[in-house]
Amino acid sequence: MKIRDRSAVPFHVIKAILLAILSVLCVLPFIMIISGSLTDNYTILKEGFSLFPRNITAEAYRTIFRSPDGILQAYKMNFYYTFMGTALGLLVITLTAYVISRKDFKYRNKVSFLIYFTTIFGGGMIPWYMMYTNVLGLRGTTLAIWFPALMSSFLVILMRTFITGSVPDAVVESAKIDGAGHWIIFWRIVLPVLGPGLATVGLFQALGYWNDWYRSSMFSTSSETWSLQFYLYDMVNSTLAMRQMAQNVSLNTADLPTQTVKLAMAVVATGPVLLFYPFVQRYFVSGITIGAVKG
Amino acid sequence: MNPSMTAAGRAAARAGRSGDRRKLAAMGLCALVILICFVPAFPWIRAVNTEALYGTMGLKASVAKKLSPDHSVLTFLSFVETSKQGILGFWSFLLLIVSAAAIILILAAGVTYAIRNRIAEGKGMLRACSFFQKGMIFSLAAAAGTAGLTIFANSHYGMTGFAAGWPVYAAGAAGACGYLVSKRIEKQEMILCREHGFIEEFRRNWVLFLFLVPCFVFFLINNYLPMTGIYFAFTQFNFRDHLFASPFVGFKNFEFLVRSEILHLTQNTILYNIVFIVIGNILQIFFAILISHVANKRMRKISQTMIFMPYFVSYVILRVLVFNMFEYEVGLVNNFITSMGMERIDFYNTPEYWPWLITAFFLWKNIGYGMVVYLATITGISTEYYEAAQIDGANIYQQIRYITVPLLKPTFIILLLYALGGIMKGQFELFYQLVGNNGTLFNATDIFDTYVYRITTTQPLSMGMGTAAGLFQSLFGFLVIMITNLCIKRRNPEYALF
Amino acid sequence: MRHLKKTLSMLLALMMCLALIPAASAEDDLSQEANLVFYVMGDAPQDETAVEDAINAILKEKFNATIDFQFSTWTDFTLKYNTQLTSGGADLIYIANWLDYGLLARAGAFLELDDLLNKYAPELRALAGEDMLNMCRVEGELYAVPALWPEYVPLGIKYREDLRAKYDLPYPDSLENMEAYFAGVKANEPDQAILRCTTSESASSLSVAFDAANVLNFKYAWTNANGFPYGLTSDYATPDQVYDYWFTDAFTEDMKLLKKWADMGFWSKSALSDTNDSEAYDNGLCIAEVAGMNPNKQISSATNFAKDHPEWESAYITYGEVTGVLFPGHATQNGTAIVRGSKYPERCAMILNYLMTDREMNELVQYGIKGVHYDVVDGIYENLSENFKYENFNTWNLRVNEYKLPQKSDVALQAMFDKYNEIAQKTRFPNVNIYGGFTEDYSEYEFERTAVSNVMRQYLAPIQAGLVDDVDAAVAEFREKVTAAGLQKCRDGFTEQWKAYCEEYGYQ
Repeated sequence: MKIRDRSAVPFHVIKAILLAILSVLCVLPFIMIISGSLTDNYTILKEGFSLFPRNITAEAYRTIFRSPDGILQAYKMNFYYTFMGTALGLLVITLTAYVISRKDFKYRNKVSFLIYFTTIFGGGMIPWYMMYTNVLGLRGTTLAIWFPALMSSFLVILMRTFITGSVPDAVVESAKIDGAGHWIIFWRIVLPVLGPGLATVGLFQALGYWNDWYRSSMFSTSSETWSLQFYLYDMVNSTLAMRQMAQNVSLNTADLPTQTVKLAMAVVATGPVLLFYPFVQRYFVSGITIGAVKG
Repeated sequence: MNPSMTAAGRAAARAGRSGDRRKLAAMGLCALVILICFVPAFPWIRAVNTEALYGTMGLKASVAKKLSPDHSVLTFLSFVETSKQGILGFWSFLLLIVSAAAIILILAAGVTYAIRNRIAEGKGMLRACSFFQKGMIFSLAAAAGTAGLTIFANSHYGMTGFAAGWPVYAAGAAGACGYLVSKRIEKQEMILCREHGFIEEFRRNWVLFLFLVPCFVFFLINNYLPMTGIYFAFTQFNFRDHLFASPFVGFKNFEFLVRSEILHLTQNTILYNIVFIVIGNILQIFFAILISHVANKRMRKISQTMIFMPYFVSYVILRVLVFNMFEYEVGLVNNFITSMGMERIDFYNTPEYWPWLITAFFLWKNIGYGMVVYLATITGISTEYYEAAQIDGANIYQQIRYITVPLLKPTFIILLLYALGGIMKGQFELFYQLVGNNGTLFNATDIFDTYVYRITTTQPLSMGMGTAAGLFQSLFGFLVIMITNLCIKRRNPEYALF
Repeated sequence: MRHLKKTLSMLLALMMCLALIPAASAEDDLSQEANLVFYVMGDAPQDETAVEDAINAILKEKFNATIDFQFSTWTDFTLKYNTQLTSGGADLIYIANWLDYGLLARAGAFLELDDLLNKYAPELRALAGEDMLNMCRVEGELYAVPALWPEYVPLGIKYREDLRAKYDLPYPDSLENMEAYFAGVKANEPDQAILRCTTSESASSLSVAFDAANVLNFKYAWTNANGFPYGLTSDYATPDQVYDYWFTDAFTEDMKLLKKWADMGFWSKSALSDTNDSEAYDNGLCIAEVAGMNPNKQISSATNFAKDHPEWESAYITYGEVTGVLFPGHATQNGTAIVRGSKYPERCAMILNYLMTDREMNELVQYGIKGVHYDVVDGIYENLSENFKYENFNTWNLRVNEYKLPQKSDVALQAMFDKYNEIAQKTRFPNVNIYGGFTEDYSEYEFERTAVSNVMRQYLAPIQAGLVDDVDAAVAEFREKVTAAGLQKCRDGFTEQWKAYCEEYGYQ
């Protein structure tokens, strides 16, 4: 039965306008990037960006894919890191968040504090780097690239909020009276209702891995283990450095159109994420349809 | 059966309270002894065979004359500094921290004991006991640590150069005794308060401990062990002595923080952060609610994706975009303005515009990303609430105000708290890329992180200064978060971070 | 509490591990296989493994050792270089003055080489010669072996010669002529941007704050281009007589000139925030570059023009040609050092000796495998494969004059070098790079130095970019602010060290 709410009409109108404005503002620069990546390099340098590509050329993309082995390997590694990091990370984060959400766990506040403490204090980059290279000897391995970001205290605390929000105490209590142990409660009661939480945390985790270049920069010793973002980022840095170095360089630097390559980089790196994004989206963009005019 | 569960057990415990007086007196004595031991007047560590020792250290006669052979925990560090024996620095630093912790805990125990009757649920005694116990353990650790230090130092110099003074033994003994005595009292109190100790907790919830193992391993490797690097903030690094043996210089690395326009930087950093956090979250909530009310499923998803997209624009590219927009001659904005007949605006040389511009770009980039959390929470709100409200005749504004917003409050508070901890740390990439090296804009846009970055890049051996700056930011954020968390815990413990 | 105990014990373990790092090694005996790491800058070549295997086949036989080249890539390379030194792991490493060689050497990052060279690399020592080696000394100790290929890298102006000829404008070899050249081109081609100056070259400099100020080098025959830090300077003819520049009337005049040029539209009003686009010149988006240039870059541009815009012509005038002050690049432009903490310092010295004194080995490292990667045609290097190009290991520090194969573009480069050599011979200290050998120890006035740098970014940059309305007032404000920041302390510290340095080396 349709319920018409007259007072809601101005709300819906304003809502539509505001959302439209924000959406356009957000997409506009992205469109500029895409059209820039298809524009000829010289035009970009002279005239700057615009919404529509001028002198359309795929030169930038050709440069990036010039050695297809390189970029395919980088894509492969990126998928690997994202998969490992998100799957394992999500598991560990959820387990930890479950523990600290249990009101009957005596040490839950202390553990929360210890986890949060790591965001405030840190020893800096050098001890962290030395931990992985000198103490653990993981330099050059793929482990060093995906392990350091497995958990973040922000995601643990976020997940805890989701768990306390979506799992009613009464259900857990009755399950315990029935004799269920924590293992069963976790798998049968908590996880099934944790959809939005898992999707959100999973998304953040995956995005963090997908976009990371820093760990590849610090820990890789061969281009085989490079992540996609680093592969692209380094390509641009190489050209810039070669130009500015006071050395005799035989690389013909005129071949590399840096401006458009930077833009094409952004498109190439983001593409796969935008494809997989709609799948995750449905978990957290369900709407409140009661009270709205349907249709 | 656990004694705290039976009435008989509790009665026995209550009876035991009368014999407490002697035990409490013993504990008090131990605490007093330990506190006395730490007083700087007494020799915690002594340098013996000073002539030979100073000779091995390579100290000049003028310097050696100034050094006294007896040191308390505090003055030992200055001894390390003056004699330039960096290798002892790390041990002494740890020792200082442990000793300070011991003193604080004992004092806390005393205070809690004094106000024990005012603490709810009769747990005052228990709390005091637990503080006391921890204090005893730290004292024991300090004593043991000192013993270890003397052994290490003696083996390093190849001679008996250091010896633990009598306070070490006294503190160690008192710590052990105090611990044992307090254990008895604690057991009693636990029965009365229906609490249980670690072993009991483990027995009940060992699965939970198992769940926590990966977490412990990860944070230990990734965060807690590298935290020892904080020590570098107090050293002057050089390659010959390497990391843990570089000379200890006390607070010298922090001096630059005081000299620089620290107040101005702090003000900038905090103000920007507050604006970002508050306005950012409000807008995220606002748009999350708006999106959740879009009827058409496809439109909902599409608009949400579009708003999310700025997240993918890296700051490096953003810089180029912004320059293209605001450049004086051919920037998009200026072209637009001149086509309307107005004068060009020189954005890049006028600091006043930039707080607005930077805030705008921060919001643009982060609204989509932050909105996801709120959207997910809204998804979790049961539709029954809205149906019931509608039947009661609530219009849409009322529904939002009385159902949606309150249910988003916990999430908002958690995110707010979390962000507050990082209040002295800034969005480095954002500021660095948009402003770059343009000195005219520094007054309005320089934050802590960019300032420290400029210093550390012009002076390559400044690891000490960088760590010192980081430590300052951390301490500041720590204070803020502890106070805020405490306040929130008072009002509503559900919302607190820990 | 329990955690603290656990942490403490792990800390002990960690500490003991780390304490082992700087442990000295026993006398090296060749029966133990050594796997050395040679840390260099930049990116790895495609055929890294193939060439490394060829090298190691020979090294294994002779020295029972292998070399693994590790690359910093060009992302965050300064950070990675410093991190590599701090955390250890490399044996041989590339050094350069632009990688803070002096500072790092003084802090003890590298091993002292005098004894090592005498015992294990006497041929290399003889080849290098004491003069070159002395230039690499810091506080009297030798820490690096320089590259043995002399080159000139003087600053200058790279400009479009074809435009000059087209409109019959004067050669830009003085301030007046430069102005006439720029103005002339602007008048004839109003849409052509003249300069794309930014702050990129001056970002961490303590003598200038904006790149355009480099043009003032045409006016002054100073010991170092752009003078000394902190607004001091001295003349090349009398290097130890330091005098002030920032507080003179000449300084105000120079700033007024820069403002005049800014007003004439020679660079953009947003220049202070511009992302330096090094492609600009090669793409015709500016007609000259005045900062951070050197003959190599000129040759690069000339080659690019020949390929894409044959009607354009690039030419180079160094500031030194006009003022008469020219000197070669300092020895620490490229060098090799042995990292302190290396387990096999003797082996490193032996292998370095071999790499630089054996023709076959040197060519293998620099150019790859003959016949596969390169060939020599008429005495000129010709590349055969994309997988290993000229000096693709980025081992510019292993260049040896005798063995270096010339490239096609080297002919023009060598001509420039010969011209500069002639001029350099006529200076008071022939072919001596005085300033290049000086390392400043600013630990005593670190804070003042940072404060002065900040004041320069904030107040001097707009003046030198000509973006202020009243030059006199702005200069007065800058002088006031920079004095308040502690300028005098920096100046005193610097002058004292500089005079001592000049006295030690006889630059008086």
